[in-house]
Amino acid sequence: MFSRILSILVFLLMPLALYAVFMYVPTEKQMGIVQRIFYFHVPSAISAYLAFFIVCLSSIQYLRTRAVKWDHIAVSAAELGVTFSIIVLITGPLWAKPTWGVYWRWEPRLTSMLIMFTAYVAYLMVRTYGNPFSEQTRRFAAVLGICGFANVPLVHYSVRLWSPEHQLHPTENTLIPAMEQTLYLCFATVFMLFAYLLHRRVELERIAHAIADLEQSTSAKTFTEGT
Amino acid sequence: MNFYQRTVAILHKDLRAEWRTKERLSPMVFFVLLVLLVFNFSFELGGAALHEIGPGVLWSSYVFASLLSLNRTFAAESENGSLDGLLLAPGDRSALYLGKMLGNLIFLLAVQLLSLPFFALFFNLSIGFYLWPLLLVFLFGSSSLAAVGTLFAAMSNNMRLRELLLPLLLLPLILPAVLSCVASTAAVLAQNQGEKLYIHLQMLGVYTLVFAVLSFLLFEYVIEE
Repeated sequence: MFSRILSILVFLLMPLALYAVFMYVPTEKQMGIVQRIFYFHVPSAISAYLAFFIVCLSSIQYLRTRAVKWDHIAVSAAELGVTFSIIVLITGPLWAKPTWGVYWRWEPRLTSMLIMFTAYVAYLMVRTYGNPFSEQTRRFAAVLGICGFANVPLVHYSVRLWSPEHQLHPTENTLIPAMEQTLYLCFATVFMLFAYLLHRRVELERIAHAIADLEQSTSAKTFTEGT
Repeated sequence: MNFYQRTVAILHKDLRAEWRTKERLSPMVFFVLLVLLVFNFSFELGGAALHEIGPGVLWSSYVFASLLSLNRTFAAESENGSLDGLLLAPGDRSALYLGKMLGNLIFLLAVQLLSLPFFALFFNLSIGFYLWPLLLVFLFGSSSLAAVGTLFAAMSNNMRLRELLLPLLLLPLILPAVLSCVASTAAVLAQNQGEKLYIHLQMLGVYTLVFAVLSFLLFEYVIEE
């Protein structure tokens, strides 16, 4: 039921957001048409960090309670975090090329996003190369999920210290009302999409585990019957 | 035995085993030498390159060497089946973490000090008293690597593809520390950059503290059977 409501909301909001981005909002004067990518770039970045936060929280919960449902949430959120950071890492350079003249600059926020992306790809690798249904893999992943999130502020701070480039993202809000409205609409859309995907992914993970449990119990049964 | 005694006992055991076999220290120093050679042929290092890429080259080789060494933290224990014995010992298991971590710290420091002369030789680094803050940088840098590395060494030791997985897990996490290690080494080599050095040492201190506390708390979950 919950996922039905979310899916309806996403399917209503997405065309609205696309309309707002491509038709409603005026083109930005300096950066031109490419600035429209901003309305999806920013919400995706926030969603990615939200996902990493969820991974951390549910990892802590998993280690405390050992309830598998927290692990399902953690792995689903980690996948979404990687997905949304890929969106950020693709839209960022697309926007950067016309604005900064090059696809990639070692700019603090972009660099931090890239480092966090690698950390959570590593998280997914632990899950891929470990036995996905073993308790040990879940524990290791939870430890990594907590450490990965503890690293977020450290990465941000150190990248700012290190960075050869100054902060190139605008620091003040210079948006006109129409742009703000579009941005808020896009935030709502992307967050709904995020919630919907997370909900479905957790469900999928739950089913996969239920099937694995069933298979295990049937094979154990045939084994005892055979002997 | 209290917590402190158990920590010291584990550290003592590791140091003694290393003293007798030298199976971590000598390969690591040799490895650093080889990596420096590789960098030398890739970049044509010389006097001019010292300040530009010197610190980066130095720390890249230390990080690679420390990955090799960290892999061995628990490998010898599980090969000899002695890890179970350590785990069976009564009391808090974080003593095991602390002992192993201090051991790693000492190995890393020793490798850095032993291989610094090669670096000085290849890069025409003039030796002098201005280099003494490097000791601080080494201490802070190795503690940050050891703090987080020991936790993940315990983790990857229990996994398939362990040698492959450790760098993948560790490198994204230690990047902030490596950045600061490189920057503070550069500050020392450039001299009269005390403020920059201080900021980066602070950063390393915070990093080490955060991950030492976290690893201390999480170690129990990694080592449990």
